[in-house]
Amino acid sequence: DNLCPLNRLLLPPSPLAKAISIASNRSRQQADQAERGYREEKRKTISKMSVIDILTRVDAICKKYDKYDVDKLNASNVSADDAFARLYASIESDIDSAVQKAERACQEKNRAAVVALNAEIRRTKARLSEEIPKLQRLALKKVKGLSKEELAIRNDLVLALPDRIQSIPDGSTNGAKQTGSWTSASHMEIRFDSNSDGMFESEYFQQTEESSQFRQEYEMRKMKQDQGLDIISEGLDTLKNMAHDMNEELDRQVPLIDEIDSKVDKATSDLKNTNVRLKDTINQLSSSRNFCIDIILLCIILGIAAYLYKNEMQRKAVPGFVLHLIAFAFLGHKIFYGVTLLLLTAFIIVYAI
Amino acid sequence: MATPDPDKLMAKADKLTKLSFTRWTADWKNATSLYEQAAIGYRFRKDNEKAKEAFEKASKGQEMISSPWDAAKHMESAAALAKELGHWNEVSDFYRRASELYRECGRSQPASDALAKGASALEDVVPDEAVRLYMDACVILEEDGREQMAFDLYRAATSVYVKLERYADAATFLLRWGIAADKCHAVNSQCKAYLSAIIIYLYMHDFQQAQKCYNDCSQIGAFLSSDQSRCASKLFSAYEEGDVEEIKRVAQSSPITQLDHVIIRLARKLPTGDLKELNKEEAEEEVLDENDLT
Repeated sequence: DNLCPLNRLLLPPSPLAKAISIASNRSRQQADQAERGYREEKRKTISKMSVIDILTRVDAICKKYDKYDVDKLNASNVSADDAFARLYASIESDIDSAVQKAERACQEKNRAAVVALNAEIRRTKARLSEEIPKLQRLALKKVKGLSKEELAIRNDLVLALPDRIQSIPDGSTNGAKQTGSWTSASHMEIRFDSNSDGMFESEYFQQTEESSQFRQEYEMRKMKQDQGLDIISEGLDTLKNMAHDMNEELDRQVPLIDEIDSKVDKATSDLKNTNVRLKDTINQLSSSRNFCIDIILLCIILGIAAYLYKNEMQRKAVPGFVLHLIAFAFLGHKIFYGVTLLLLTAFIIVYAI
Repeated sequence: MATPDPDKLMAKADKLTKLSFTRWTADWKNATSLYEQAAIGYRFRKDNEKAKEAFEKASKGQEMISSPWDAAKHMESAAALAKELGHWNEVSDFYRRASELYRECGRSQPASDALAKGASALEDVVPDEAVRLYMDACVILEEDGREQMAFDLYRAATSVYVKLERYADAATFLLRWGIAADKCHAVNSQCKAYLSAIIIYLYMHDFQQAQKCYNDCSQIGAFLSSDQSRCASKLFSAYEEGDVEEIKRVAQSSPITQLDHVIIRLARKLPTGDLKELNKEEAEEEVLDENDLT
């Protein structure tokens, strides 16, 4: 049937939509009949019709007949058909509110509120689980106006309900593997938050010896942990204070060190300058090459002086000798060379003469 | 070089500086070096009086040859000797003069150091003068923008005030410390200063003043979100409840133990006076307020 895809729309989440779908299902059946009638009318006129055309026509007809359906719905309150739908709708709404509560419990920070919400969810789940058999009986009842597929669908819905109810998170489950046993839930995971505390208050908890011992041990360990954490927190406070003080001290010293840096840079450059100049001066003063030249020149001077002295040109020699000694005393090479040359020329002139 | 007699050096130096018929200008350079040598000689001989005088004259000489740094140094030595001698007004004068000379050199840190040394010398004897010196030292540093260095001065001045039992002045000074800390973004010191001020007000048993102080300080974001402000609010709630045990417990808690030891001593002595009085006072005030409104 081309209308089969519409049947798959029979499992939408909202109850209202479900009610409408059920209603529209019935109305579609009526529409089917209407359509058949219509078709018979139009058989001669139209040979082929596309699916889209059919769908649009069905929708139009549904809309037309919807008001009758609504009247029917309102009129017959006692029919089991409606009872099923009503019960189903109420169960649906309960499941949805439970799911919303579960979501709120997940986000809730206040532990006490979480515990209360979880307890409420559990009670709702228990109640709904009780109502499922009733619904099942209602579903199996044959009602006039319902097709076989409708019945099958209803059965499926009812069978799907328990799973859905159980899968509502209530703070004690671990997911899908709920077998329905109560005490096993508290040993599922070792949780050290008050969700397990919440379990103890609800009516599901059976206190065995092991679990009470376990609880005591847990409480003691928690106390010891708290004490340890207190000590750690004190230590951390001290550390924080010291760290802050160190921070401020370092901030204080940053500009001082900058000053030191610049002053030391200046001193270094001064030193470098002085060193270079000193090096030049020392080189000028005491290079070994210059020393040898000094000695050679000295010998020459002495030789010239002795020669002049020997030649009995004392009056000219002595001042020259004295001059030369003075020049040597200054140790300035230019003066030295100059005077040596001068004396040499004087000697040559005298000799020439 | 044999150490000549300091007396002779002094005499010679005096002769150099005294203007007379034969001498038209005083030879300060030589005189200064002679004075210095004499002063060292006297100090070696533990003749404090004469050493002090010699240092004074040496300092004057350095001033004359326009080297204020050395002059200031000599002034400081003179002041230290005056302290040994117990001439307290001279101590403060000399240190102030030294500080001025340092400021002439443009060096604010040694200037304030000189004043701080003077203040610590005078703490026990003339505490008012000491406090004034501390304040001037802080002012010098703040003018130069180096408030960070002033923290120690603030701490010392506060302890002097507390010793003098001038608690209101101490609290005001602590708030000034908070301002200085704020300028150099030293949040921890700032919060500690504010908490100390609150504790001092509570020690004075001036609950309203303490509350006002807390409210004012809470305007500052850094203080509002700090451990110290939480501790202060705990203290206030303990006071309002009149719970002595709680007050003592808060006083032992870690933000207070991180403060200066002087403040810790005060905090340990809390609560001073009767807590019920506080509540009565508050109730009376409320009655008055109602009358005013109607």
